[in-house]
Amino acid sequence: MSSSDPAVRCDAVSRRYGERLALDRVSLQVQPGERVLLTGGNGAGKTTLLRMLATLLRPHEGTVTVAGHPLPREARRVRPLIGYLGHEPLVYPGLTAGENLELYAALHGAPAARVVEALELVGLERRRGGVASELSRGMRQRLALARAVLHRPQILLLDEPTTGLDDDGRERLRGLLASHEGTALISTHEPEWFAPLGVRSVQLAEGQLA
Amino acid sequence: MRAYRALLRKDLLLEWRGRELVPAMLAFVLGAMVLVRFGLGGETLAGGTRAATGLLWVVVVFTSMLALVRSFAQEREHGIWDGLLSTPADRSAIWAARATATFLFLALTQAVALPLFWLFFLQEGRSPSIPVLVAALLLADLGVAMLGSLLAGLATHVRAREVLLPVMFLPFMLPLVTVAVRLTVDTISPQTSGLHTSQGLGFLALYDTIFGLLGWALFEYVVED
Repeated sequence: MSSSDPAVRCDAVSRRYGERLALDRVSLQVQPGERVLLTGGNGAGKTTLLRMLATLLRPHEGTVTVAGHPLPREARRVRPLIGYLGHEPLVYPGLTAGENLELYAALHGAPAARVVEALELVGLERRRGGVASELSRGMRQRLALARAVLHRPQILLLDEPTTGLDDDGRERLRGLLASHEGTALISTHEPEWFAPLGVRSVQLAEGQLA
Repeated sequence: MRAYRALLRKDLLLEWRGRELVPAMLAFVLGAMVLVRFGLGGETLAGGTRAATGLLWVVVVFTSMLALVRSFAQEREHGIWDGLLSTPADRSAIWAARATATFLFLALTQAVALPLFWLFFLQEGRSPSIPVLVAALLLADLGVAMLGSLLAGLATHVRAREVLLPVMFLPFMLPLVTVAVRLTVDTISPQTSGLHTSQGLGFLALYDTIFGLLGWALFEYVVED
């Protein structure tokens, strides 16, 4: 990424699911280091946009570049740069918290020592040996956060990260975001909670920028 | 290589803890063999070596179906595909790890199936050439695992995958089973099948090479949007 490249750039991006238009000619630019909140009701297209930036969906129309790399052509170059938190924790229920993170560290090519750091960051260090299916909803969300930041990505893509988190979990999330020097795109229904972090809000409604 | 090892470890750990697949495969093998044995009134297949080996290979193929239908079930049911595919790991490593795990599960199941086959269906005094039979089984298992994992990846996002997977998989099994049966017959009654052992093993190795290369090259296109 050159210094002049935006972290994220979408130009007239559309995406369909069958007949339904989930994103309709969305244009958006996010500068390096910027934090952007994606707001809007259910079905507004927030998750579709984040999944597209995470290289999981390709645009049907328009162009998407992340850190100067066009998608999906240069998805391989983008993947090491992003940390994606989805609706689901994206962890194996039958593995322990530590085993899940060890797996993802291997998939990201990150040092195994990062597993301990990531667990400490979200306050799960004493739950390392706990099987994911036996963790509470909030604990699984913390584990999902640890998975997303394990490889120290430049760009965080967080889909409703506060879901299921208790007060301590929320404070840790706030601390994590405050110390993150890179870019963050966050979809949320609680924009006021993120306001102290100095964020820009972008509202989506029925697949379009409102 | 690190990603492949980590994914394989994950597959083996999940099976060890969950014990979902291998016990079901063993129960199927045992059930099929016992059912046919008693269905035949307890007789060995006198003069029916080809029928007996055919039965062995049908059991192998249908046992593998059990494993393949459950392939990538966790990734599908818990949305874990998004986690795996958002990492920079080579998609081929996901396929290779799944194929290796399936191969190991099949080999383990056949460690039970083979003695039962010998005990239930072969006439006294007749015994197959064990090294050739084991080589044939392992080569066939490898082909089944590599092709099956590719097709399981293809079917993973399809709603009717339990129907679609056998429909796609079974036609590819026809050449493999045909050669494997003739090869197995030859290990019991040498030179009755008209197929030389090296020809049969060579065919199975070629089959593995083709589907190994296809799986390695195509899996990325199969699982990505």
